[in-house]
Amino acid sequence: MATRGKMKKTFTDPLGKNNPVFAQVLGICSTLAVTNKLENTVIMSLGVIFTTTLSGVTISALRKLIPGRVRMMAETLIIASFVIIVDITLRAYMPDVWQQLGPYVGLIITNCIIMGRAEAFAMNNSAGLSLIDGLSSGIGYAYVLIVIAFFRELMGTGELWGITILGDWWTNWAIMVMPPGAFFMLAIFVWVVKGAIIKEEEAAK
Amino acid sequence: MKQESMFSTRVYPVLFMVALTVVFISVVSGIFLTTEDRVRLNESIFQKRAVLYAAGIDFPRDNPPKIQEIYEERVQEVGGQEGQPDYFRIELPSGETGYAVYVRGAGLWGEIVSIFGFQTDLQTFTGVEFVEQNETPGLGARITEQWYKEQFRGKSGPFQLVAEGASDAPDELDALTGASRTSEAVLKIANKAAEEAQETVEQEGQ
Repeated sequence: MATRGKMKKTFTDPLGKNNPVFAQVLGICSTLAVTNKLENTVIMSLGVIFTTTLSGVTISALRKLIPGRVRMMAETLIIASFVIIVDITLRAYMPDVWQQLGPYVGLIITNCIIMGRAEAFAMNNSAGLSLIDGLSSGIGYAYVLIVIAFFRELMGTGELWGITILGDWWTNWAIMVMPPGAFFMLAIFVWVVKGAIIKEEEAAK
Repeated sequence: MKQESMFSTRVYPVLFMVALTVVFISVVSGIFLTTEDRVRLNESIFQKRAVLYAAGIDFPRDNPPKIQEIYEERVQEVGGQEGQPDYFRIELPSGETGYAVYVRGAGLWGEIVSIFGFQTDLQTFTGVEFVEQNETPGLGARITEQWYKEQFRGKSGPFQLVAEGASDAPDELDALTGASRTSEAVLKIANKAAEEAQETVEQEGQ
């Protein structure tokens, strides 16, 4: 039985020093690709949270049945099924968002965070803990993307969620919505956050 | 220990994968089938909205029954199959007869499918809607933004590109900053749209 402490650690680790994006540097592809509009980022993040959580639980629940040599096949199948469910649901109930995200929803399947958590965590831990881990890994991914998207959309277009925030005085930084902008923003983010964490650790010593 | 039996190393993994596949595919298929009608309806409404938008007819965006009603009142599908007509004959807000056709062309990453609306002369655009595109999100994909599509209304080609926000003549189109290739692709499509529309409409007879 997992202790409270372990549950808490499982939840807070991916949010802070073990964050999938800025500490483990996973899921970078979509971090770079979908962060130039806040709306797309949020929907994408919800899709990833849904998938990491449910695939974590399912894989963990089946972990004693999954034969070792086909485990990756099984994991991929389970992950892909959840992603297709997200895709179909968006298509049926949010057709406009689905139109915009298009191929990115399907690409959640290849998001390394999900496979990484399945391999590293869900295969060795109980379903309950895997649920917490999946959820917090998803949230850890989501908030990094949302912060990056916030700055990219705001500085690149003067808008947030499609609504004009900065007036005519603002000159759009076109580079922010282009792929290089994503690299710059991610690098700055990692720099700031890691710097803060390292300082904290030094202070603790 | 050499206790690994034939069953556990060879047969069980296969059986397991088959069973897992059946279970998950059933779930996914089930969800697909239950939402299929909704998806079809969305697609049909999507097309109808696109045609009305290209023709410059006002409609409430989030009211499918109303869109259906306006569409049936104003638009007639000519030729082709149901849902995929060769062209649309439209009663424009001015009372004149307009037309709308699908125009396809290569974009930067994939095909761009658009619906162009025309006035009676089959030269002047009433508008355009891009129904399928895979351009770079945030750059080329901005062709789907309102301001970009609105610039086509009342214009007629052949066109030339000018810097974003600079077009003021009826043969000028705004390019998109940071998306030159997409802008050129749309320019090509817009330039051939009138010709294609004339061919289609003449072929089918008016």
